[in-house]
Amino acid sequence: MPDNWSFVIAAYAIAAVALGGYWRRLVRLERDVERRNARPRRPR
Amino acid sequence: MISYFARAWIVARKDVAVERRSKETLNALVFFSLLLVFAFQFALGPDRERLAQATPGLLWLGFVLASLLGLGRTFLIERENDCWEALLLTPGDKSAIYVGKLAGNLLLMLAVGILLVALFTLFFNVNVFAGMPALALVMVLGTLGVASVGTLFAAMTANVRARELLFPVLLLPVLVPVLLATVKATEGALAGEPFGAYAHWLQLLAAADVIYLVAGLLTFDFILEG
Amino acid sequence: MTRVLGWLAAAGLVIGLVMAFVIAPREVTQGHVQRIMYVHVPTAWVAYLAFAVVFVASIVYLARRSATADRLAHASAEVGVVFTGVTIASGSIWGKPTWGTWWTWDARLTSVAILFIMYLGYLLLRGMIDERERGARYAAVLGIIAALDIPLVHFSVYWWRTLHQPPSLMKPGGASTMPAPIVAALLVNLAAFTLLYAYFVARRTRLLARQQQALA
Repeated sequence: MPDNWSFVIAAYAIAAVALGGYWRRLVRLERDVERRNARPRRPR
Repeated sequence: MISYFARAWIVARKDVAVERRSKETLNALVFFSLLLVFAFQFALGPDRERLAQATPGLLWLGFVLASLLGLGRTFLIERENDCWEALLLTPGDKSAIYVGKLAGNLLLMLAVGILLVALFTLFFNVNVFAGMPALALVMVLGTLGVASVGTLFAAMTANVRARELLFPVLLLPVLVPVLLATVKATEGALAGEPFGAYAHWLQLLAAADVIYLVAGLLTFDFILEG
Repeated sequence: MTRVLGWLAAAGLVIGLVMAFVIAPREVTQGHVQRIMYVHVPTAWVAYLAFAVVFVASIVYLARRSATADRLAHASAEVGVVFTGVTIASGSIWGKPTWGTWWTWDARLTSVAILFIMYLGYLLLRGMIDERERGARYAAVLGIIAALDIPLVHFSVYWWRTLHQPPSLMKPGGASTMPAPIVAALLVNLAAFTLLYAYFVARRTRLLARQQQALA
């Protein structure tokens, strides 16, 4: 049976992209919330 | 203080009375079932063999589609007539309302199921009498399974944005075990297999019914809280 | 605390990668493709773990009305969906060279796919309700129903694929004899991905708390 390294790499790459992407999303959202909390509220 | 079952009975009787006078949902579902039979026929072509093979799946797919339409409306009457607040104010255990609504839905969906079987017998030449006692059992258990989750989810989505979308999206994946079990058991019953060959599907169906019913009774209170 | 968890997870994943590609031997029948298992099986395990956490947190929320339990359920469902997605993708990629197609209606692949759709619906429901308290209540009910549905999905799909009388145990085929290094690599990766799950959930829960603070 051939070894199909490309499939192995593809599987690990997809896992890395998905999990890394989710991590980056968390970081980004956290930064957004922080910025919003830091900004003083404007009186209406 | 009226007893639990008396309260459930009041809700069920009210729903049946409303439906009997307006016939809104039932008329629409009868028409929809007829349309489904035509749609299935056109989709699969005139080949008798192929239709016969697909019959159990189509029957239950049609049933589930009809219940997506029928059950989704369960609590909409209450909203349209501004009765939702009254439901919320009902004293005592709210799961009585669930039981009442479920009873009404069971009647409605059993009628639709029997109609679908009749239409399939007529148009697709299915010999329903071959699998009769077992098929009736599948029908009852399957309807109970679909209606018990359907009633719960209908209450849940009644007050949500895009409810027409959300109700089927939530209900369909949860109903996969019921759909598989009913299709498989119907297949066995129609093929005239011995009861033991598909009894495990009926067990699964019964287990699903019990789980959904108990979960519905226990959690309904939280949905109608405010 | 969260930071430590993150570093632990990262270290675990690095060790897991080394175990998967260096220590574990080439599998005899499948060849190197079998190395996909070290990401496929742990992510599947984490997915089930995540949905079990959703179940427990949902019950706790309904009983105690603690906002923390609600945030935990929300975070765990979201992370669970991500991991389920990775499971399906890696399973599909594994399936192409071994079974010859990207997708077969294999029992385990199918039930994981159903879970994916079910919990995607859960997140959709959460997004559709603006009042926090009501959304939490509805989501908790759905989280309980979905979790109770998992064994039903598992059995029905399994019987559906095997066509015949069901076996009495959950696992088909009985215990297979895997060489020790393969088992070790799998266990290390299981631990590493579980740590990663814990890190994600901790981070997401904290984020949810801050988002709710910002809105209040």
